[in-house]
Formats: sequence, C-alpha cells, structure tokens
Amino acid sequence: MNAKLGLSVVSLAALLGSTAIAQANSLTINSFGGAYETAHRECVISPFEKETGATVNVVTAYSADAFAQVRAQKDAPQFDVIHFSGGQEIVAAAEGLLSPIDDTKLTNAADLYDFAKAKLAAGEGPAYSIAAIGLVYNTEALAEKPTKWTDLLKPELSEGLVLTDISNGYGMLGFLMLNQVQGGDLTNIQPGLDAVKSLLDAGALVVATSPEIQQEFAQNGALIAPYASDYAFTLRNAGLPSGFQAGEEGTPASFITANLVAGRDNADLALKFIDMTISADAQACFANALRYTPTNSKTELAPEVAADVAYGEAAVAGLLRFDPTVIEANRSAWVEQWNRTIAQ
Amino acid sequence: MVKAVPPWLRIASGLFLALTALFLLAPLVVVIGVSFSESQFIAFPPNGLSLRWYEQVLTSNVYLSAGWVSLQIAILVTVLATLIGGAAAIAIHRRQLPGTDVLATALLSPLVLPTIIYAIGMLMFWSAVIGPIHPIALAIAHTVIALPYVVRTTLAVLAESNPFLEEAARTMGANRLQRLLYVVLPQCVPGLGAGAFFAFNISFDEAVLSLFLRGPTLNTLPVQIYGQLEFSPDPSVAAVSTIMIVLTIVLIVVIDRMLGITKFAST
Amino acid sequence: MNDRTENLLLALPGILLLALAFLFPIGQMLILSVSGPDGFTLAPFARFLSDPYYMGVLWRTVRLSLIITIICAVIGFPLAYIMTKVGPRLRLWLVIMIILPLMTSVVIRTFGWMVMLSRSGIIPQILRDFDLVGRNFALMQTETAIVIGMVQVLLPFMTLSILGVLTRVDGRLEEAARTMGCSFLQTVRTVVLPLSLPGLVAGSLLCFTLSASSFVTPNLLGGSRIQVLAASIYRSVTSAPDWPFASAQAVILFVGILLVLIPYMKLTGGKNG
Repeated sequence: MNAKLGLSVVSLAALLGSTAIAQANSLTINSFGGAYETAHRECVISPFEKETGATVNVVTAYSADAFAQVRAQKDAPQFDVIHFSGGQEIVAAAEGLLSPIDDTKLTNAADLYDFAKAKLAAGEGPAYSIAAIGLVYNTEALAEKPTKWTDLLKPELSEGLVLTDISNGYGMLGFLMLNQVQGGDLTNIQPGLDAVKSLLDAGALVVATSPEIQQEFAQNGALIAPYASDYAFTLRNAGLPSGFQAGEEGTPASFITANLVAGRDNADLALKFIDMTISADAQACFANALRYTPTNSKTELAPEVAADVAYGEAAVAGLLRFDPTVIEANRSAWVEQWNRTIAQ
Repeated sequence: MVKAVPPWLRIASGLFLALTALFLLAPLVVVIGVSFSESQFIAFPPNGLSLRWYEQVLTSNVYLSAGWVSLQIAILVTVLATLIGGAAAIAIHRRQLPGTDVLATALLSPLVLPTIIYAIGMLMFWSAVIGPIHPIALAIAHTVIALPYVVRTTLAVLAESNPFLEEAARTMGANRLQRLLYVVLPQCVPGLGAGAFFAFNISFDEAVLSLFLRGPTLNTLPVQIYGQLEFSPDPSVAAVSTIMIVLTIVLIVVIDRMLGITKFAST
Repeated sequence: MNDRTENLLLALPGILLLALAFLFPIGQMLILSVSGPDGFTLAPFARFLSDPYYMGVLWRTVRLSLIITIICAVIGFPLAYIMTKVGPRLRLWLVIMIILPLMTSVVIRTFGWMVMLSRSGIIPQILRDFDLVGRNFALMQTETAIVIGMVQVLLPFMTLSILGVLTRVDGRLEEAARTMGCSFLQTVRTVVLPLSLPGLVAGSLLCFTLSASSFVTPNLLGGSRIQVLAASIYRSVTSAPDWPFASAQAVILFVGILLVLIPYMKLTGGKNG
C-alpha cells in the first residue's frame, strides 16, 4: 500500500511537472485526430522526429476548437505549429497570433504552387493539402451516378440527403457552391439558404461533424452528401459502398495550412517542421493515405491515387476557391443566417 | 409498519422500478452491446460478435495513459474540493461571518455558467498572469466546478445536525481545534463522503474544460473519448466504456463490503 | 482567536480559490460582452434581446429545463421513497442502478441514446413495427431526444437529493399517520411529501441549473437545428468566432436562470438543503 502510494505521488509529481520537461528540442502541434492523425504521424511527424531527434507533442482538436485555444492563449502560446482546415489562419494572422514566414527559410517553398504560398509574408502558413468538395454518394443505392451539383435538388434524393452544418469548413464550402448553382454569390447567400430550407422541408438532414455522415451512410440509408473527396475514401476504407464525383459546375477547394505560431522561442525547429510538411514526399504520403490533393508541384503519385485527386498544375488550377477573406469577414453573419434558416 | 402495503401498490412499484431501471440502464446496455460488434460501425443491435475492439483498446496505451491521467487529476480534485468545500460549508453553516449568504451563493455559481465560458476565461487568465498552460490549471478549474457539490452536501448534513453538541463540548472544556475535529467534523462525514463522490465524478467525466485547458502532454479520458467519437467513431469507444462500467460495478461492490453503500449514498 | 477568526480561516481557502480561479477569469470574460471597439457598449445584449431567433433559443432552454426538472421530480420522488421502504438487498441493487449511470461518462451515455434514437435505431424501429409512425420517423434531432437524454443524466442527482432527506425522516411519523386512519396515499401526501420537500427543492434547483447550462447532451441529441443556449454559446466561441456575443449570451443565461430560481426559492421558503 505504501509503495503504491509512493508510486502515485511520484507519478503525480511527474504529471504536474510535465510542462517543465518540455524543453527546447520539442515541438507542440495540433492534429485533427483519428485517421488524419495516423497519416500525419506517418507522413510528417515520425520522419521529422527521426531526422531532427526532436520530440513532437500532438494535441488533437478540430480547427475551430484549436483556434479558440490559440486565441485565448495569446499571452503564452503552447503550440509551435498549428494546422487549420477551415480558413482560420486568415483571422489568426490578422490578429497577430501567427508569425510571418520568410519563404527563403523553407527549402521546399519554391516547389509549391503559387496560390499555396501567396500569403506567407502576412502570416498565413503554406497550404500543404487540398480537400476537393463534391458529391459523396452511395454507389450501391444510387442507380444513376450524380454528376452535377443541381442533382442534390432532385426530390427523390431529399430523404437520403445529408447536409453539413456550415460551422464545419467543408460544410461551408458545400453550401457556398449550392448557393452559387442556385444563382447566388458571396454578396448574396439567400438563394442557397432558400434551397437548404426547401431541402430540409423535403426530409434532408443536417449534421455537424464528419462521423455523423459516416453514421448516416452506414446505418441510416444516406444516399448523397456534398462533402470532401478524402472522406469518400475514408468511407470506402471502412467498407461502405461510396464514391466521389466532382460536380460539373466546379469543385470548391478547402486548403489545409501549416502555420507558425507567434511568440514561441524555437521558430527554427518549427519552420523545419513546416518545411517537411510541404515536401513532395510528405504530400505524396498524404495523398496515398487520405487522398488529399498535393500543393507541391514535384509530388509524384501512382496512377490509381492520381485518379482520386486533382493532380498536376492544370487540374489544380481548375479548382474553385471562394475568396477566404470574404468568407471570414462574413462568417459570423452567415452562421447566424444559417442557424435561423435551419432552426425548427 | 402498521398496515401492510396494498397489493396493487406493490405491483405498481415493481413495474415502476422495472421501467426506471430500463430507462436508466438502456444507454449502458447499448454501449456494452456495441463494444462486441464485429463491424467498424457503431450499430445496435451489433453486427457479428468479436472481441477485436477490446484487443485494440488494451494493446494501445492511448486509452490507458489517458485513463491514468484522468484518475490522478480526479483524486487531486477530490482531495482539494472536499477539504476546501467542507471547511467553507462549516463556516457558512455557523453564519457568523458577514456576507455569509453572498459567499454561499458565490460558491454555487460555477454550476450556473456554461463551462465553455469558464474554460476560455481560465485559459486567457492563466496565459496572461501565469504563463504556459499547466496540468495544475486543469486541476484547479475542476476543483472550482466540483466545489458546489461538496458545499451543498455538507450543508445539507449540517442542517440536520444537533446545534447543541458543539455548545456542550465547549462547556465541558474542549478547545476550538478539539471541537472542530471531534464534534463538527464527525457530523460532516456523510456529507463530505457524498461530496467527495460527486467531486470525483465531476472531474473524471468533465470534457469541455479538459478540451481547452490541456497542455501538450495532458490528455484525459473524456477528451480522448470525445475526440475519438468526433474524428473516427468505431466500437473501441464502446469497449473503453464497457471496461469502465465493469470497474464501476467492482468499485461499488467493494465500497459496499467495506463501508456499506446505502449509508454512503444516502446523503 | 475568536469565533469570527476561526470561521474566516475555514472559509478563506474557498474564498481565495473562488476569487482567483473563478471570479477573475469569468469577470475578464464577461467584461468582453460590454467592451466594443469604442469602449463601453451594450450592443451584444441589444442584438440578442431584439432578435426573435435568440429569444426563441433562450425560451427553449428555459422551457426544456423546466420540463426535464419536472419529469425528474415525478420519477425521482417515488423512486427515492420506494428505496427507503425496500429490504437492504434490493436497496443495494437500486443504488447501483442509480450510481452506475452517474459514473459513466455523459458523452458515452449520450452516444448510447444516439444509437437508439436515430432513424434506424431500435426505438423508432419498434414504433414503426407497430405502425405508430411513418417510414422516415426519427427521434434524433428533436426536443424529445434532448428531454430523454437529459432526464437520464439528471435523474440520479434528483433521486439522491430526495433520498438523503427521506432516510432521515422519522419512520414513526408515518406510522402515526396510518394508525390515525390515513390511507397510504394520504400519508404520502400529508406526511412524506412535506417532509421530503427540502430534498425535492434542492434536487430541482440542481436539475434546473445543470440542464440549463449543459452542452454535450443537448448538442449531440438536438443537433444543429435545435439549439439551446449553451450550444449557441459554444458556437459563438469556436465557429463564429464572436467572443463578446458569447459572453453576452452567458450573462443572459445566468440572469435567466436566476430569474427562474429566485421566485422558486422564495416560494419554497429557502428549504433548499
């Protein structure tokens, strides 16, 4: 009993003293958890640890939660590198939470497509993966493969349609695309809201997180969902008959960025980590594991992987990007209008 | 009892207990069922039968280490909250301090605010005043939200206690410390015990504060479970929960053997 | 040392903890709600209070919390009463039945309900088999789902509160009532119920407060379409992000809870344990 007590006192002391141990040769980063974290470790974190001898501490959180944490910790940040998938880097950079990156310090920056490194000097980190938003559908239950965004409006699909809340980054882009094919644009989202309203009245469902989409496809007979290509792949891996089809009207792209947090003292190591994240090897690994579209022009993919992503300069240029600064400027108001529209 | 309970009442009570048990335990039954599922999906009734999720949980140390961290924090919180809350309750009960009512209300206020607001506030405050986030910050925050339970249960017990006992002890020459230790404290014990039980639970089960106040090396079990459900839900979460349910039953039986659970739970 | 010093010493750790680790952080957060770009402002409050949508969210929060509290009391009182009457063996099992859910993570229990209440879940399935509902019927993402989930979470708190008081009630009082000719139900109404009032009041306060401020269960079971205030606050903190508005909502929730609780406490004469 005494020995046990002693042991737990020691380990409690270790637990409480644990931040003191986090020394110069370690980095703290966020990852998104689940399959993403597994791939993240395999493609970047482990190779980085092996190469530099540093330790990487990973905290898993959705981008929105991670952003709130970074913002509240402004005076004493704990993250060295923070990854965002929902455009949070724009607000974070504007608020001075992120540190500008000198692209000469990144050996791989030269290989990135221009759009992926456009805002480095402003503090927005490089985009290292792109998720393409299109139509994720049940390949067994749908006799006719969907081809365009307006197919979402077919009445026979409504009861099997799963929409994603716009608090989710992919949900936002899917909604903006729906809005666009209904005649709206970034100055006017009313056509999109009207469409959502009538879809919901016809039996469509709104979920807030990606696992709920999986749940709907696995258990509840979902037919189609506007969502990301990588998630169709995840569903397929889980043994579900699911496919991804880019909509004819265009494919919105969601950037995943690696950002340098301001006010930390080992920026050089953090930059090395970011550099590794944007390397051709790491991006090929991400594409293999999760079917994300690479942003490094030197990335080489096997044909079957390339078929699932936007591969090559021309294909990537064809992706559609809603102006993220406009989205950020309107996010709060749009979320409110959206909530109002879907409220029962 | 003077008169026997009428038979219809016995039947009605039995039915009522059965339905309540069904309602209270249904989600646990589902969780246990899902944990034996063979498929990757969370479905009930489960498809197929397998122990693969138990194997996965017990061989990965993610859950084990998160559980260990949660346990240590919960024990620390239980000790702190019981000592601090119990002492405060005694002072409040005696009503000799000015502003007792304000203090009593203030001690209950952490119950009313959503934890997300407290989490962000605490994170901002800690970062601005103390520095990088530290596990002790989480323990303190948990103690704050556990405090109302201890204060409440201890006050409830004290309200029923005999006010003249302390007076009697004083007339018989007991000094302050002796009165506190030998008269007041024993009266508080059932309340403190119940408060400690709640405090432990609150800390062990809290997800929102832990989500925001965790540092790079700190991952608690609820956060791990919440994260797993959010990112890649599979029956491993159910397997973890089933293990916890079984441990809880064992714990309850042990407590019953040692202390008599009904005494302990009735405060 | 006098009495006052002794009591001060006893209360001091609690006061310090509360002031330093709660009031300061919360205060700093709440100040956000009244600080605009040009100094003091009440704009976030005006925005909330003038908007039928948000007022609807507030009203739903209060309404659901009341319903949940009432259901907990209606089930919790007989449950606690029966527990004082049964033999020790059965009582142990009943205690386990109450404590077991309490010690199982709320996230996990909620997730159990999600599985049962979804479109192909077991409960809609059964209702469908009896032709009570249509093909596409689901309980998920309804107010009913929130009530079901929250009652399951809060019933143990209510039952334990009442049980704590009932076990200390002198059994001879009941016997006296019965000998003097009261029927069973009369005894319960005139003797047991009034005596257990402090427990009932304390349990109701706890249930109401916890259900009004809880986030995980309503958010997961209600989904994005049925928001309660705590979920709306969470969104304002993370996905909007609009912290002044989040703080304003927290203040409004706080005041809203007080507005319900103060008359209730006055009415019940401070018998809140």
